[in-house]
Amino acid sequence: MKTLRRILKKPLNIVAIVLIFSIVSMAFFPKFFSTHDPLEMDYESILEPPSRKHFFGTDQFGRDMYSRCVHGVQKSVVVAFSSTSIACLFGTALGLISGYYGGLLDLLIMRVCDSFFAFPTLVLALFIVALFGNSLLNLIIAIAIVYTPIFARTIRGSVLSVKENLFVKASKTLGSSDLRIMLFHVLPNVSSILIVTFTTNLSTAFLTEASLGFLGLSVPPPQPTLGGLVAQATAFLATAPWMALFPGAIIALIVLSLNVLGDALRDLLDPKR
Amino acid sequence: MTLGYVLRRIIVSVPTVLLVVLMVFVAIHLVPGTAVDMMLGTQNYLTEDQIRQLYHQYGLDKPLVVQYFAWLKNTLSFNFGVSLRTGKPVLQLILSRLPVTLELAALSMAIALTLGIVLGVVSAVKRNGFIDDIIKVFSLIGISSPAFWIGSIFIVLFSGLFRGFNIFGYVPIDRDLLKNLQSMLLPSLTLGLMICAQIVRVTRASMLDVLRQEYIKTAMAKGVSRTVLIFKHALKNALIPVVTVSGIQLGYLIGGTIVIENLFALPGLGRLLLQAVNERDYPVVQSIVLFVAIMIVALNILIDFVYTLLDPRVELK
Repeated sequence: MKTLRRILKKPLNIVAIVLIFSIVSMAFFPKFFSTHDPLEMDYESILEPPSRKHFFGTDQFGRDMYSRCVHGVQKSVVVAFSSTSIACLFGTALGLISGYYGGLLDLLIMRVCDSFFAFPTLVLALFIVALFGNSLLNLIIAIAIVYTPIFARTIRGSVLSVKENLFVKASKTLGSSDLRIMLFHVLPNVSSILIVTFTTNLSTAFLTEASLGFLGLSVPPPQPTLGGLVAQATAFLATAPWMALFPGAIIALIVLSLNVLGDALRDLLDPKR
Repeated sequence: MTLGYVLRRIIVSVPTVLLVVLMVFVAIHLVPGTAVDMMLGTQNYLTEDQIRQLYHQYGLDKPLVVQYFAWLKNTLSFNFGVSLRTGKPVLQLILSRLPVTLELAALSMAIALTLGIVLGVVSAVKRNGFIDDIIKVFSLIGISSPAFWIGSIFIVLFSGLFRGFNIFGYVPIDRDLLKNLQSMLLPSLTLGLMICAQIVRVTRASMLDVLRQEYIKTAMAKGVSRTVLIFKHALKNALIPVVTVSGIQLGYLIGGTIVIENLFALPGLGRLLLQAVNERDYPVVQSIVLFVAIMIVALNILIDFVYTLLDPRVELK
């Protein structure tokens, strides 16, 4: 509660939270927010600039860009949030095991993580999606695989210092099982780092999803994705720049809010600062 | 001693590279169907016997372990196989596209480092001032915006402001240097600004850390001029985290080239990769992914080496 109040002191943080809240509600109720059917074509109004009827203008098939953006937001939120959550779950588990037990297991897990870090995020995601096809589920799995090692390594680093604490040793002496110590003594003490890592990686997951969408490897068309909308717009940059402007701006706003929030959380939760 | 260090670093990264190779191999073999199936597609006019012969020719009838070591041997001797779609050797394809990507990466990194370090220093020196605020907002927008969006905005702006400016397409560097640079301007500016945003943030934080230290106060008390103080005493020590972050940004840079090359229609490695992905040309995809991974491992060794140039206290162990 105290943390929350301190975050809310800065107006920029409030703006970020409000933006994230509206983005999430857009993702949950896209029908409520959109004014048109995102797939409905209207050849009477092709490439129209933004107006009161079409907030973000229309595309080359006369589809309402605003409604397409709202539905694109839904896909982005679903992909980014679920992939980061999966990565967080598995990465934390691996990091806990690796840091707590140490030894050969630790060496093995960290070596595999190192190999993952040799691949640029986007290249690895592209590779996985290329191999298994671009469905919503594969996209989530691909991004989750890419981000798991990041969580694993961050958590392992914190676990290494937390496990040296006296309360961990005391608990061990009292006969607690390793699982119990990891879940009830170590995990709560790395939770603040986990929250910060989650927020920052969530924002990059949005960017990765958008980039894959731009490259045509997100959810297949005609379903709109934010990155895909910008890709579609590149052919009309001279005649209808709004087609690229709005979906890109929405991605930027989402990532910006998450970055602001991440910075605020880090300032509060990181004991080193 | 340095040579010994480099050798040791290379030996240490061998397991990483081998794991990378193994991972790519396993990933490719998780996909249902073999290279021959891909080549034949859905329209198959070959007899069973001919197909068996094809399998034999590509060594696909051997056990997986044998296939792996054959592939490993080929890969490590830079024999990446043949593209399923064009029939050309993959290495030749990669090498023909590589200069474009390398030029884009080098120009972007140059822009990012120059602008990033300058802005970061200014931001730190004028801490909490008006200029600092502007630079902070600029870098926050930079790290939050997708590269293809910033690139699109640049295209709209440039095509509106400068008619006749050659935005798309690529002119080889040996044909016309000026035209080449013109075709590279927007792509490298876009990518450079994205990475610049990260570098500004690190430079600022690192400079602030250094400026707080005692030796800076001593130097100031001695009457060292402001310029010398900032650039010689402070910046040199502040650069180490910047080098680390630049190293981390390499991966982002490579990922960024894929997006930027596709936006600006540059015939680089990233465009080749996407094309191969869309055509399910697996030998090309796996080779590029491997090539990039090995390149990143190599560049990371190089970056470790740069540390020692900046700070002699860093021991190469």
